[in-house]
Amino acid sequence: MKNKGLGEFEELVLLAVCILDGGAYGVSVKREVEKHSGRSILLGAVHITLYRLQDKGLLESELGGNTGKRGDRRKRLFKITDMGMRQLQAAQDVRQRMWQLIPQLNPNMS
Amino acid sequence: MRKSKELKTPFLANWLAGRFIDRVYLEEFFGDLEEIYSDRLQERGKFYASFMYWVDVFHLLFGFSSLNFFKTQNNNLMIRSMFKIAWRSAIRQKQFTILNVLGLTIGIATCLIIGLYVHHEMTYDTFHDKRDRIYRVNQSSIWHDWDDQFASTGPNVAIALKEDAPEFEQITRMLQLGEKTVRKNDKQEVYKETEYYAVEENFFDMFSFAFVQGDPKTALKDPMQMVVTQKTAERYFGFDDPIGKTLEVKHWDGSWRIFTISGVLADLPVKSHLQFDMLVSMKSFHENLDRDDWKWIWTGFSTYGLVKEGTDVQALTEKLQKIPPKWAPPTTERIFNQTYEEFTAGREWKLYLQPLEKIYLSEEPNEHGFGPTGNPQFVKIFSAIGLLVLILSCINFMNLSTARSSNRSKEVGVRKVLGSARQTLVRQFVFESVLFVAVGTIGAFILVYLLLDPFNAIAEKQLELAPYLQDPLFLGITVLFVLGLGLLSGSYPAFYLSSFRPIETLKGKASTGFKGKGIRNTLVICQFTISITLVICTFFVQKQLSYTSSVNLGFSKDNILQIHHIDQLGFDTEAFKNTLAANPAFTHIGKSFGVPPLVWSGDKYKASEPESPVVDLKNLRTEKDYLDLLGVEFIAGRNFDPQHANDKYGVILNEEAVKVLGWGTKENFHTDSPIGKSVIIASGGEQEMEVLGVVKNFNFNSVRETIKPLIIINQHNDWVWDYAIGSSYLSMKLNPKAVRNTSDLQSVIEDVKAEMKRSDPSIPFEYSFMDQEFENSFRAEQRMGTVLNLFTIMAFIIAGLGLFGLAAFSAEQRLKELGIRKVLGAGITQLLVLFSSEFTKLIFIAILLASPIAYFLVDTWLTDFAYRTPIDVWVFVLAAFSAVVIALMTISYQSLKAAYQNPVETLKDE
Repeated sequence: MKNKGLGEFEELVLLAVCILDGGAYGVSVKREVEKHSGRSILLGAVHITLYRLQDKGLLESELGGNTGKRGDRRKRLFKITDMGMRQLQAAQDVRQRMWQLIPQLNPNMS
Repeated sequence: MRKSKELKTPFLANWLAGRFIDRVYLEEFFGDLEEIYSDRLQERGKFYASFMYWVDVFHLLFGFSSLNFFKTQNNNLMIRSMFKIAWRSAIRQKQFTILNVLGLTIGIATCLIIGLYVHHEMTYDTFHDKRDRIYRVNQSSIWHDWDDQFASTGPNVAIALKEDAPEFEQITRMLQLGEKTVRKNDKQEVYKETEYYAVEENFFDMFSFAFVQGDPKTALKDPMQMVVTQKTAERYFGFDDPIGKTLEVKHWDGSWRIFTISGVLADLPVKSHLQFDMLVSMKSFHENLDRDDWKWIWTGFSTYGLVKEGTDVQALTEKLQKIPPKWAPPTTERIFNQTYEEFTAGREWKLYLQPLEKIYLSEEPNEHGFGPTGNPQFVKIFSAIGLLVLILSCINFMNLSTARSSNRSKEVGVRKVLGSARQTLVRQFVFESVLFVAVGTIGAFILVYLLLDPFNAIAEKQLELAPYLQDPLFLGITVLFVLGLGLLSGSYPAFYLSSFRPIETLKGKASTGFKGKGIRNTLVICQFTISITLVICTFFVQKQLSYTSSVNLGFSKDNILQIHHIDQLGFDTEAFKNTLAANPAFTHIGKSFGVPPLVWSGDKYKASEPESPVVDLKNLRTEKDYLDLLGVEFIAGRNFDPQHANDKYGVILNEEAVKVLGWGTKENFHTDSPIGKSVIIASGGEQEMEVLGVVKNFNFNSVRETIKPLIIINQHNDWVWDYAIGSSYLSMKLNPKAVRNTSDLQSVIEDVKAEMKRSDPSIPFEYSFMDQEFENSFRAEQRMGTVLNLFTIMAFIIAGLGLFGLAAFSAEQRLKELGIRKVLGAGITQLLVLFSSEFTKLIFIAILLASPIAYFLVDTWLTDFAYRTPIDVWVFVLAAFSAVVIALMTISYQSLKAAYQNPVETLKDE
């Protein structure tokens, strides 16, 4: 399974894109990640990560949808690709397996 | 394009982003930026929104313009060529490059360290959730100068506030209980606890101290409950669960009171003005609190109030002034037999509200017993120095950049001829300058990272760099600084040089005709003015410090060993004293309640004659032997005499006390001697205490202060109720013949310790030396002195680097001139003088400017001290002389090189 290179922040951004389900663009992703992780993030970091994930083929995007708040500019909406979903799932699986191996959390093991 | 015009995003930032970010991204980014800007505008206001807009734009610029650069081949080449040219010119003039970056690095590092320190000092108590609504109630300093503020109040101030000021949501009190001896219930080891307080049950409602174990709501609800910090819990119980365990605290009467641990706090944040190890419930002391007598004058309590949201604190403070006249009279009547009006005697008993976040770093009240206080003066001084050093190094940087770039006029000419646009040239120079600043800044970060530990050791602080590096605001400011300084110092040479006409520069005209000497000279004068001022100030700080330690105290403070906690032995310590007196290591031995410079207790007294004024006197309760040990000088009368039974109520005054009691000075003692007159306690009955003797003034407090009036009372005097609990000492004068070295001293201390253990093993053994106590009273100043020295050296290095660079530049510029002078017969000395005088002139101007500034600063600083070192002229002369010498030495290498150059070499091109 090729899942090295999915960093912690990248994972958060990917998850946020999934949660937002079609409504993911720079600002909304930033808010989503901030809401869940509790840290404050710069907009640029989100953009850079989104584009990097797109270059890796984990995300795809198209321009569309605007609101008055943005001065009638379009947003770039990001969507997760199948490969992105697979990677995310793989990352989760690895964690899950490792969590299960922690003896402190499973008193009946060992 | 845009419909909504009311949103004005920063124009310059938009322009920059538009210039450097690929058009593909622009629509999306501007949309996102504007959206987030409008959100921030609503949440935090315009300034924050614009500032963060800039930060975001820069971040995007860094993220995407570089993508931009490296994706299209053209730009990639461009950037590479810019780097290459920058690198080449840096290498060609190694000396300049190193000087320039080094100076900047030192400057930024110094400023950064100071910034960290100042930020640390200014953000105390910011971790409490309700911090903006918490106020401490201070009151007029009723024991000393009523115009001053006093950080603690009587217990009933809180009661009165609850009744009369509904603006407070909550009021809580904290009582300082002083040093205590504590043991576990196995009764084995005893520990001394100094940070021991009683607080009320709502204490943790108001202050957000984090609990590790226990419930903040109920932890101090019942009597005999105790909350400890994790550190303290581990000290007693190791890793066992402390909840429910008990600790025994020795009460003032010798009995042990048992407290149950009901909560454990996470170790307290360093940046808290409240520092404690143990808190016990206030209800444990209800018998004291219920007594009426002391309710307004038992000033051991710190009262904190949480105001309701939206309270007008100004109006509330005014309203509070009605409280003391209404509530305090019963106390003054009962204790002092005085009506409120008599007690205040026209002075105002005020209540003040001090915001929580201001407590640590405010001028007033300058002391409180509940934790550390900052020194606003130091913060101001260091902020000023930090800024100055930064300015110095920036000036330096600009100065050297300008000087350096004028050598590149030929390069500019060639590039122009080859078709380079002016814009490209400007970009090149600005780029180089930004690059330099960036390298210098990164260097400074590394330097600070390396130096922070030693600095913390000297300054006794715990500063950290790492948390700031994750703070977007801090990083934003850093980036802005790099770009700002880079643009500023790059723009002058950039625009000036790029305006040259190629023909002239290539013909060689402009290479010698570079203007800007005026500016450079002004900058050098500025730098040296600042450095010389700092040197003079540092000199006086050191001079003052050595002066204070050499002031004649009026007694001898050397070789005096003091053991503490003598009061815990019980009142009769004669036997203990006699065993120690048998030790040949001691020449004198004496007991006292309070020792110089720590004589804090005092009371109100008056002369026994009718209509005498009430005066504040410090009191020192002691015995004959202690006065002998100190060797204070009697100018009239005699010392206590144990043979005279009447001496129990006799007193000895110092000259100052005689003066304030209205009995004149020592010149009139032969006609009207104070000996035999009497003093009475203003708040007590009419018991007259006869004056036995008068001693010459001596410094029983730190020499920072003038000598206050002092009354020395006999240790057995039971009319004066103030026993200065917790500060009784047995002092021993060491015999220098018997105690010759440290191992002798060590064994003497061991002997005393063993003796103390034999008398009562439950008393912690603690000792000190009087001369060290005196030194400690100037610890803060000494620390400041050391740090100041460090920064002064930094400032001088920066100024020196600047001068060195300029001299090198000037030497290069004047090579031909000096060559011609030499050919025409000028000698080496003449050339040296000629060359050096250009710079020494500037230094002299700097000296003239620096002297009055330094005089003013030193004079202001010294007014805080009672004993001031004179502001001698020779210090100024010395500082000036050393500045000139250092400057001459700095340029000597360049001037010698220039003077010894063979004219054939320099002139062969023409």
